[in-house]
Amino acid sequence: MIKGVVTILWKDLLVEWRSRERLGPMVVFVFLIILVFNFSFALGGSALHEIGAGVLWSAFVFAGLIGLNHTFAAELDNNCLDALMLAPVSHSSLYLAKMLGNLLFLLVVELLSLPFFSLFFNLSPGLYLVPLVAVLTLGAACLASVGTLFAAMSSNSRLREFLLPLLVLPMIYPALIWAVKATAIVFEHSRPSATGALATAAFWPGSLTEPVSFLLVYSIVFTTLALMLFDQVLED
Amino acid sequence: MVAALYAVFLYVPTERQMGLVQRIFYFHVSSAICSLVAFSLVFVASIQYLRRREERWDRLAVASAELGVIFALIVLITGPLWARPIWGVFWRWEPRLTFMLITFLMYVAYLMVRAYAAGSVEQTRRFAAVLGIVAFVNVPLVHFSVNLWSADQQLHPQKVELAPEMVVARYVSLVAVGSLFLFLLKRRMELELASQTLNRIRQKLDDERGDDGP
Repeated sequence: MIKGVVTILWKDLLVEWRSRERLGPMVVFVFLIILVFNFSFALGGSALHEIGAGVLWSAFVFAGLIGLNHTFAAELDNNCLDALMLAPVSHSSLYLAKMLGNLLFLLVVELLSLPFFSLFFNLSPGLYLVPLVAVLTLGAACLASVGTLFAAMSSNSRLREFLLPLLVLPMIYPALIWAVKATAIVFEHSRPSATGALATAAFWPGSLTEPVSFLLVYSIVFTTLALMLFDQVLED
Repeated sequence: MVAALYAVFLYVPTERQMGLVQRIFYFHVSSAICSLVAFSLVFVASIQYLRRREERWDRLAVASAELGVIFALIVLITGPLWARPIWGVFWRWEPRLTFMLITFLMYVAYLMVRAYAAGSVEQTRRFAAVLGIVAFVNVPLVHFSVNLWSADQQLHPQKVELAPEMVVARYVSLVAVGSLFLFLLKRRMELELASQTLNRIRQKLDDERGDDGP
């Protein structure tokens, strides 16, 4: 099972490495969305603590939807999906590989877009980056767990790409609420404290535990559920 | 239904603080209960369909999903109508409103999957069943999240004391709305059965014509 997952994941990474069809457009898209927010709300430097987290996650969710659409749509060319289903790996491993791939892509996009996000929002690097990356990873895991399952469904519908946001968005709202909340908490603690000393509180604020554990629960619940149900989605 | 209308409009005393508008309560609450029951039925029917692959479970799922969406819509329409005079606004991002809205949207997505499917009928049913299960699992998570997200905005009363007549009217309307729900559910399932049969006959005719054709 693990071997199958690794093989498919490796194949997807290799395809991405050679074609660069996903990461590039996604990063540019995040950049553009952040600008959209900037122009629609005339954001200033102090905006970070008010809506920074919301802007960041909106951009990630929209970019994520673009990337998710690619998961199975890319396999439709030359009937690659049929070949994948014939391959001697279980459908669950296929889901897991695709889900991990999406998670990885989302994470790379998030990390690549952080620098210019911090630039626009005047965020200087600091220790808060550690919990921030943890929150970003978990948020991406939530999006990938639900998104991969639905991408398989939407690639088989008349609406194609258009159906995916209709499915994913209402489902992802609870995770979004918590991801934004956690990110806002992290940003709140990103200011260097008055004494200049980096207290452990800045590293991992106590209020962060609740949102983070919710994100963890959400991603585990839906990954498990998707693993159980993925057979039903692929079967012809 | 008539009894409920009688109970709601004539029997029950007008609520002292809120006045006439409060009468909407009887349908508002009953519809909310019905829509949640409907979504639970979708969940059960979806599991059963995936396990047994019997069309009747799929008919139950599609019928209750549609009715759940309609009853949720009734809740979402009567809610603001009632809220405007009482809270002063149509809409607040209050936990229960947010919860109902997100749940409603999830099942709208469910109906979309059914409506715009490209594959075989059987595949559409499987997709719908998967979504019916995933969406229902999400319901408590949504509930939990929005409750903590905007707990400070709690406007729905958490516990209500009702006059005895109101209690009667409440249950009468619950029974009335509930039986309307069951009646519509039954009709919708019959309709689905009829349309399935019709499709099968059409398919057969097409096949036969295809054999004779040039």
